[in-house]
Amino acid sequence: MKKIKQFVREAGFAIFRALGNTIVDAETGVRLGRAFLLPWKGTIKVIGLGVPVRPVFLPQTRLTYWKQDLGFTTHAAPDFPRCEKNP
Amino acid sequence: MLEWWRRHVAAEDILLACGGSEADFRAMEHSQKIFVNDPRLRTRDHQREFQSYTAIFRAASAWLRDRPYECVHFCEYDQLPLAADFNERQMARLDAERADLLGYRMLRVDGTSHPHYLYHASNPRFCEFWKSISRRTDPSVVMSMFGTGSVWKREAFDAVAAITEPFPIYVEIYLPTLAHHLGFRVRPLPDQDRFVDNLGDLEGTIEEARRAGAWVVHPVKGMWNA
Repeated sequence: MKKIKQFVREAGFAIFRALGNTIVDAETGVRLGRAFLLPWKGTIKVIGLGVPVRPVFLPQTRLTYWKQDLGFTTHAAPDFPRCEKNP
Repeated sequence: MLEWWRRHVAAEDILLACGGSEADFRAMEHSQKIFVNDPRLRTRDHQREFQSYTAIFRAASAWLRDRPYECVHFCEYDQLPLAADFNERQMARLDAERADLLGYRMLRVDGTSHPHYLYHASNPRFCEFWKSISRRTDPSVVMSMFGTGSVWKREAFDAVAAITEPFPIYVEIYLPTLAHHLGFRVRPLPDQDRFVDNLGDLEGTIEEARRAGAWVVHPVKGMWNA
């Protein structure tokens, strides 16, 4: 039963990804995968993307007021130094 | 299982933590063993029930007291060492990275779509807890790593073990985030991530993984079945 559920889940994701868009890291240009973006009651459902992403509004070289571009990016790999004392 | 591990590590350097039944614990033929009786270890839906390794860390840290170990390799039963010198490699990587914790699939996840982060972020106490203990200038940073295995400097392991979990937090978020906010340096193992997965069974790929340079492989669930 678990395997059947897993199969149905994966098939569902495959359909959503096929209908969706390629998501590219807005800061690095790296392809992050495919996802189906569904606007819904003031939010956007992001379906099928296997990589954790954060939304970013993209800088504009031309000043426009009528639209803004929302992209996605990822955090860099954790690389914080050791911190001995409280800030 | 112990036979396999003893090919890679001296028997006296292996501590078995048993979270099963007391009968299983008594039957274990190994002198270094501890029994951990914590229902948060035995969750079925690990993510929704906030599975925790805090009790294991605490019991292991108590056992380690007065024993001069400098590093701790924490490992689930279904993670298999493949390289004969895997401990040496892990310790060399800790030194090369000047790290206190190495974790598989280690990521920064605050502000992202990571489901485990989002699930915890819905609890106002979650962010408040990190703010209350953090030594960092940015207390909003949240990390995630696989719970299957991790490599710790002794100081970091003991420091994390000493903290009482304030409310249930899923182990994969809790351990690396706590280590980070206590001031320890956490780093990923990107070249080893492909040998450590959360689903399936990689028993059939052991030799291929070994040839490809794997230090360990996970999950290998069926190997110890009688």
